[in-house]
Amino acid sequence: MVWDWKYALDILPGLLEVAPVTILATLGAFAVALILGLGLAFARRSTNRLLSGVTHAVVEFIRSTPPFVQLFFLFFVMPQFGVTMSALMTGILGLGIHYSTFLSEVYRAGIDSVEKGQWEAATALNFTPRQKWMRIILPQAIRPIIPVMGNYLITLFKETPMLLGITVVEMLSQAQIIGSQSFRYTEPVTLVGIFFLVLSYGASLLVKRLEIRLNVHR
Amino acid sequence: MSGSEVIERPDTEAPIEGKEPIVRFEKISKSFGELDVLKEVDLDLYPGERVAIIGPSGSGKTTMARLLMTLEEPTDGYIEVDGRQLWHKEVNGELVKANEKHLHEVRGDIGMVFQHFHLFPHMTVLKNLMEAPIKVKGQTKAKAREEALAMLEKVGMVDFADQYPARLSGGQQQRVAIARALVMHPKVMLFDEPTSALDPETVGEVLEVIKEIAKDREMAMMLITHEMSFARDIADRIAFFDEGKIQEQGPPAKLLNNPETERLGEFLNRFGIDGNHG
Ligand SMILES: Nc1ncnc2c1ncn2[C@@H]1O[C@H](COP(=O)(O)OP(=O)(O)OP(=O)(O)O)[C@@H](O)[C@H]1O
Ligand SMILES: [Mg+2]
Repeated sequence: MVWDWKYALDILPGLLEVAPVTILATLGAFAVALILGLGLAFARRSTNRLLSGVTHAVVEFIRSTPPFVQLFFLFFVMPQFGVTMSALMTGILGLGIHYSTFLSEVYRAGIDSVEKGQWEAATALNFTPRQKWMRIILPQAIRPIIPVMGNYLITLFKETPMLLGITVVEMLSQAQIIGSQSFRYTEPVTLVGIFFLVLSYGASLLVKRLEIRLNVHR
Repeated sequence: MSGSEVIERPDTEAPIEGKEPIVRFEKISKSFGELDVLKEVDLDLYPGERVAIIGPSGSGKTTMARLLMTLEEPTDGYIEVDGRQLWHKEVNGELVKANEKHLHEVRGDIGMVFQHFHLFPHMTVLKNLMEAPIKVKGQTKAKAREEALAMLEKVGMVDFADQYPARLSGGQQQRVAIARALVMHPKVMLFDEPTSALDPETVGEVLEVIKEIAKDREMAMMLITHEMSFARDIADRIAFFDEGKIQEQGPPAKLLNNPETERLGEFLNRFGIDGNHG
């Protein structure tokens, strides 16, 4: 099979039409992961043994089962319990939950990297526990983990084609649809690959620059 | 330095007559597991009084300060701050363990300067001084800023207001840390070896600042230090800790020149102070 430039250019607009779906799924899932991940990190650090133990178990369970299985579960099994969502919403939630377990560990590492003396100075100045977290600890905890977070965002982005499995029409499934109309798959699938390559590579360069900037300011 | 040096006291002793203690440790004990660090220690601090705490490593000096700053909870005993229980609160005439809300109310009277400064690295010097007055005391930004700058002026750091702490020397950081504690206007200020993490060249500037603020008799000061001449210069009273107890306490001249206990004599000898001939 040879590469047909004309065909490739013809289908490009149709492919890019669904790029916003892929981007939305990525950013949406990442937002869920950022918020839920912080919640999990707090729960894991709780002095309540039960809460921290249960959280630990749940995090381990989600981390060690395939995200694809989790998506299937949300999409096909949850409706039987009366919970229905659009495919995209399910995808955002499923990927978000999966990645929250990774981000919770990243948050934990960030929080642990803040010196004990920072907590003590904050206590000595009589900050409330909430103020300590928001003003003193988290700003210091998050700074060094921003590059790691960025890399998780890129990984998450590259995993969005799996949403095809739960009928979300994102880039790869659009390529499949276009290909099935003309029985030519080389161009659409290759274009999708290039799309992911360009954005991932661009984002990784940004993360690198961010990392350097964060280090300079130390 | 030697014990025969004549040292000018900057001030007379604190006028404590007829005043209630601002801090009262009552039979305070602290254990870490098997290790009994403090054993039923009694210590009173009077308003405006300056008490230096000396003693060998591991004798429990830092632990005393940390209990008062609520960084560590006593195993037994009571601490009173300005007439209120710190670690306990009265419920139906009984003393029960205090919650964070109660600690927050009482803790406001106490400030602390740490050995390793612990400035907030993500804030400029000025922000370090403004954050707590604004967030904790509800001061306006303008007022907090004005007072922060005045305090920085006092410790000679006003030119560094917009710098981040990482850019400063140890001595400069410690002066900022002192100013940060002062803008909260505590009734009692704790210093835990404020110069022992510093390069020798910068020790002097920090001790000068502490002496300067000690002139103001509003605030009581508890100074844990290994700098004997500093303790002698600044303290109204020195308490000697050893093995989790106060072995001896009294005015500097008396304590440093005529130690009663053998332990203190030995301790002072190690600092080159020949106790008995002072
Ligand atoms: N959190 C802790 N857990 C276990 N042991 C502790 C803890 N904090 C202090 N200790 C121990 O308690 C003892 C007293 O410590 P403390 O820091 O009060 O001594 P110090 O008089 O301040 O000594 P130094 O002059 O070395 O600062 C030491 O043996 C120390 O190892
Ligand atoms: Mg100590």
